[in-house]
Amino acid sequence: MPTKPKKTAKSAKAVAAPKHQNTRLWLMYPPKKITEPIIWQISQKFKVVTNVRQASVTGEIGIVCLELSGLRPEVKATIKWLVGLGISVEPVEISVVES
Amino acid sequence: MANEKSFMKALKCRECGHEYPLAATHVCEFDFGPLEVVYDYEAIRGSLTRASIESRAKNMWRYRELLPVAGEPTVGNQVGYTTLVKADRLAKRLGIRELWIKNDAVNYPTLSFKDRVVSVALSRAVELGFTTVACASTGNLANSVAANAAAAGLKAYVFIPADLEHGKVINSLVYGANVIGIKGHYDEVNRLCAEIAGKYGWAFVNVNMRPYYAEGSKSMGFEIQEQLGWRIPQHTVIPMASGSLLTKIHKSYQEFSKLGLVSNTKWKIHGAQATGCNPISAAQKQGLDFFKPVKPNTIAKSLAIGTPADGFYSLRVMKETGGHSDDVSDDEIREGIKLLAECEGIFAETAGGVTVGVAKKLIASGKIPAEDSAVLCITGNGLKTLDAVVNSVGQTREIRPSLREFEGLLETEDAACKA
Ligand SMILES: Cc1ncc(COP(=O)(O)O)c(C=O)c1O
Ligand SMILES: [Zn+2]
Repeated sequence: MPTKPKKTAKSAKAVAAPKHQNTRLWLMYPPKKITEPIIWQISQKFKVVTNVRQASVTGEIGIVCLELSGLRPEVKATIKWLVGLGISVEPVEISVVES
Repeated sequence: MANEKSFMKALKCRECGHEYPLAATHVCEFDFGPLEVVYDYEAIRGSLTRASIESRAKNMWRYRELLPVAGEPTVGNQVGYTTLVKADRLAKRLGIRELWIKNDAVNYPTLSFKDRVVSVALSRAVELGFTTVACASTGNLANSVAANAAAAGLKAYVFIPADLEHGKVINSLVYGANVIGIKGHYDEVNRLCAEIAGKYGWAFVNVNMRPYYAEGSKSMGFEIQEQLGWRIPQHTVIPMASGSLLTKIHKSYQEFSKLGLVSNTKWKIHGAQATGCNPISAAQKQGLDFFKPVKPNTIAKSLAIGTPADGFYSLRVMKETGGHSDDVSDDEIREGIKLLAECEGIFAETAGGVTVGVAKKLIASGKIPAEDSAVLCITGNGLKTLDAVVNSVGQTREIRPSLREFEGLLETEDAACKA
């Protein structure tokens, strides 16, 4: 199987252009955020493409399964902004760290 | 068991049913739902009988047709077939007619049920050509991956939160695993681990190998049924972190009854959590079919998952079988550990204290009727969580090397007992 590629000191590419990535997430909204157009706001604030794959909303929780595509710094900034709003942002696997 | 035939058919999305090839993949491309292994039960029926199982070695692979490997398993040939103990003294204390303890506190080699899931994940990883395995874990899973990878000659990476107590890390480092501590909040560590899992071509046991990995838990349920004399217990009490073990024990009962290995009697599946991390039991008690994430704060670290990946499916299993759920405080957990130790001579970790404590509550409230029979799943060893009970097990009494002093000590005790 492929292992981690060796980084050479001269490989300028590693420090240059940020990479494009697709990140699959579950967002869980607290009740007071459910009515806010969060996904629309993402596309206004960040250069990322949003692609909703599943969603369910009740009075108590909003759950959205979302793919974010864009350059890595933009995707990271989007996640940081969501977390700042009090939205729980989980990877698609949800709990990767287990006991 | 000279059987090189695969009984797996495909990976299938639990949400939309779309099927995928049997590769190292775990998420549906359409709705990001989790994938699960599906089997050819017709073919299994021709190969797996009570007699064929009983003729095989006493380990978890005696049910190999129902486990997700294509050929002979290469990891875990000593794992499983732990004892099912008839717990008469504990039954009396809890007020139930019949009680059994499935004792994975002594599972081989790392003293928790995780050796079952890891054996399956690593066996399948070897089949798929991987040479490096990985996991993200704060305890039992890390220990098990490190040990089983060492024995199988695989390279292992174990990711942990950097602030994990050193004692827990030794149980992984000793096997020569590469242990990487990640600084940051749990959520950040969790997201980074998911990213690493996606980026490197490794068998990440609980990420890209998860459909195979999770199936390993069924072996605990297969063994319970066989050891009970080929029957399904009326009640099974199971500790829940992600909720995976609970759903898989249920699946094991469904599969044995579908194959006619046991008669299809009614069973109830009950889930146990700690009050300090009870997203699933809180939802069950409120009658909800979804859970709300929580921030864990409990001594039962092995069950401390605030956003359980199989929470939704666990709630469904409890609902379908008419089971219940409850949770217990840290003090009740310690009491549960002591009760099991004092009645049955079994020292369980905090997850075991949770299971015993919740069983006690369910029996006391009549949710498990006193005239019924129940199995408690004990999933890990008490030697791993000594800190949790260090101040609640009493103290040694010291004397000088003098017989007179010892007799004096016995006399004061006698007097105290009579008073
Ligand atoms: C000792 C012990 N018991 C039970 C569990 C629950 O497992 P699950 O995540 O399958 O619910 C774990 C999980 O880490 C564990 O370590
Ligand atoms: Zn799907």
